[in-house]
Amino acid sequence: MANEPKKSSRRDFIKISSASVIGLSLGALIPGGKWLENEVYAIPASQGYLLVDTKKCQGCSTCTIVCSLAHEGKQNLSLGRIQVQQNPFKSFPDDIKIDQCRQCAYPACVTACPTKALHADKKTGVRLVSPDKCIGCQRCMEACPYETSNAAWNHEDKNGHKCDLCLNTPFWKEQGGPNGKQACVQVCPVNAIAFTKEIPVQAGDGGYKVNLRDESWKQLGYPIS
Amino acid sequence: MKGYQGKILRVDLSNRKITNIETKKYAEYVGGHGIGSAIFWDLCKDKTIDGFDPANVVTIMGSPISGTITPSGSGRCEVTGIGVQSYPIGWYTRSNFGGRFSGMMKYAGWDGIVIEGKADKPVWIDVRNSDVKIRDADGLWGLSTWEAQEEIWEIVNKSVTKDGWKAISSSRDAGFTTQKPAVLAIGQAGENLGRSACLIHDAGNGAGQGGFGGVWGSKNLKAISVIGTGSIETDDPNALIEARIAAKNNYAYNFDDPKVGWNRFSSSPTLGGFYEREEESRPQSCMGCIAGCRARTASGLGSESSCVETIFYADFNRRKFGKQTRDAYVATDLLQKYGINAYEAWRGLEYLEKLYKLGVLGPGKEIDCPLDFEQLGTSEFAEEFLRMTAFREGIGDDFAEGFVRAAERWGRLEEDWKTGILFYPYWGCPDHMYDPRAEIEWGFASIVGDRDMNQHDFNGLYWDPTKDILGGKQPYLSAEEVTKVIAEKLVPFENNPRMLDFSLENAYSEDMAKLVSWTQIYGRFWKNSVLFCDWRWPDLYNPNDPDNSGLTGDEGEPKFLNAIIGGNMTFSEGMEIGRKIWNLDNAIYTLQGRHRDMVKFADYIYDIPYDGGLMGSYYLPAIENGEWKYIDTKGRKLDRDKFEEWKSKYYKLEGWDPETGWPTRSALKTLGLNHVADELEKNSLLGKE
Repeated sequence: MANEPKKSSRRDFIKISSASVIGLSLGALIPGGKWLENEVYAIPASQGYLLVDTKKCQGCSTCTIVCSLAHEGKQNLSLGRIQVQQNPFKSFPDDIKIDQCRQCAYPACVTACPTKALHADKKTGVRLVSPDKCIGCQRCMEACPYETSNAAWNHEDKNGHKCDLCLNTPFWKEQGGPNGKQACVQVCPVNAIAFTKEIPVQAGDGGYKVNLRDESWKQLGYPIS
Repeated sequence: MKGYQGKILRVDLSNRKITNIETKKYAEYVGGHGIGSAIFWDLCKDKTIDGFDPANVVTIMGSPISGTITPSGSGRCEVTGIGVQSYPIGWYTRSNFGGRFSGMMKYAGWDGIVIEGKADKPVWIDVRNSDVKIRDADGLWGLSTWEAQEEIWEIVNKSVTKDGWKAISSSRDAGFTTQKPAVLAIGQAGENLGRSACLIHDAGNGAGQGGFGGVWGSKNLKAISVIGTGSIETDDPNALIEARIAAKNNYAYNFDDPKVGWNRFSSSPTLGGFYEREEESRPQSCMGCIAGCRARTASGLGSESSCVETIFYADFNRRKFGKQTRDAYVATDLLQKYGINAYEAWRGLEYLEKLYKLGVLGPGKEIDCPLDFEQLGTSEFAEEFLRMTAFREGIGDDFAEGFVRAAERWGRLEEDWKTGILFYPYWGCPDHMYDPRAEIEWGFASIVGDRDMNQHDFNGLYWDPTKDILGGKQPYLSAEEVTKVIAEKLVPFENNPRMLDFSLENAYSEDMAKLVSWTQIYGRFWKNSVLFCDWRWPDLYNPNDPDNSGLTGDEGEPKFLNAIIGGNMTFSEGMEIGRKIWNLDNAIYTLQGRHRDMVKFADYIYDIPYDGGLMGSYYLPAIENGEWKYIDTKGRKLDRDKFEEWKSKYYKLEGWDPETGWPTRSALKTLGLNHVADELEKNSLLGKE
């Protein structure tokens, strides 16, 4: 159950292309962007990324629930911005799939948003939603190139939302964001979620689905390779 | 009412009527078993009915912590109703299972589900947020628990999807989910009214005791599916998150610096089982758990099974092949698929083998049984044994009655209880490995209750020192140290280490009565009503703490509950609610016909010396010649007269009538249960003051 990109279609090709190289007219709409000499618009990189180890995850979903709690003040799997899907009848490691926002270098969700609601934070580069600007078109969900969209719909507040690395957690007093802590990382009982400031390899899953299993994991008799 | 959804789903299968009960009406019991018992009291008018009677009321309850980040509790779910497993009658009873059902039920907007009546044909209940349907189960009846769940996933997940998210209804405002519905289902054992049939959820979560699978079968109820997208309102989100993080950092397993010591809350996330785990696997847990106790494997075999499901066939398998083979995993999976109680299957199979070796049972023997015991230990044998039980094939019709009733059918019950070859010490329920002759509180709490109690509160006092001593090591904590640390936690009987003196001299004391009372009221509230997991709670000792003191107490269980529902409930106040629930349960047993004269162990507990169990020795802390030490309880037996005296002490401690064991008005009144006293009085069953 690796988080593979959806099957390519002409529409997807257009989405990914437009996310990679944004032309003059679109680029002008994006806050925090820079003009390059060749007049191609680039969005600043996020200063942080979540990495997960799908072979280490124990499937407790505490990360998902704490995400909704820190951000919304409520506990709800549907409002978690990191999602863990399980099939108890499948074999390890295909029984668990984790979807976490990749804070893409070329964020299709940002590009697709018609109102600048989904934007890169000026200070940190984190891709995040300004709910007051969101018109609920859900184009960010459609634009996200992954099988399970990492931009999600908050049906209670009626706006899109996505992982902000805990930059804005009204219900958790800890400082979040790339220079702080992330609730999911803090609560994961087996340390299967990590935070990095290094930009992961963008192609494929390998940069984001990583091996966090070390000698302590081996001591418990689990595979580390 | 933060932490609650405010309503409990009430389904009358006879009339196909779906209504709500306001949770507020029962909120004083907080959740789980307490609310279940209170609803049962109100809705099951005639409590003397058999468990298979359509009027039996079954509750499936979550709690305020269900679906939250509360460590090791968020995924538990409590089932109550009149059971069909215990003997001589099916007591009002309980069973508890993990996974993600209770959380998903909450997200769907329900604090619990109440089932009444009997459908005219097989049905399943489809819950998608507030949309509840009773659907025909024509295509599901006859399927295994696993097949039925997969079928239901297909049906429910046919809904609209949006970019990998599934819609709950056509309205996008109903929200989306990435999750599969959580389904609780019976297998063929339940369909055929097996008294040892379970309710199974996902691969390995089971409400195994009480025979609730058979009860559902009698109601023509194959499964309940829940999926939801709603929120659980939380009083103090920051306090809850910080409590969770502190629990992880200060009390849970420390990957960077694992502490040597005795663990419970601090256990590592490894299989709590009795067969060798496949190396290519992951730990797997219930929702919100701090350390999973099961595994999912690369072979796909044995996934999510733990504890007794893994022991059920492992020993037979090792004996057959000289080592463990994949047959042990296959047998365990079959158990889960047919939906059969692992303890009944394990102790029952041991019993059958003994009868076979005595020459009494086998093809053409006095008890004619086609099973080929030369093949015991193979997956083929397990398949035949379990299939016969599930489908009541031939002598499997006797097996499906549970092995105490089977022995009765075969005219062997009295004799086999005398010799102890029928290893069923209390209420016709199979032995749990924790024999009443050794671990006094386990046996005594079970016999004054309704079933094998399956509460491991003090069970580590056997496992931990026994493993150390048999391994040639100095016990991590001395008997004096560990009893002192634990005694501080035993509110409202705190700081009395003699409650943990397991010498035979102390077995019949008021101290032991207090220990049994503590385990019952802790269990009835914190464990079975708030729904903290039996395998991680109570945290009575913990090597991460410099004083080895665990998380249980005001900074433990109530801290999580209070952060969710608000208020400042203390640990002690919770225990008082537990006492109330325990009294209510005993009033139900009394109406069912309970009298102290029935409260007796099987004869072998009094007449046959204990053999030391699984490890051959069963060490427990005790005072001997004025000094604390670990003593081996092997070779002990109980004394009938002294046990009768102990019962009187226990009933007096609870404020009940020692002559009958019935609750008194004064005890009930103090707890706000005057209406319960009225009902007992009306039936001439109120205990004398």
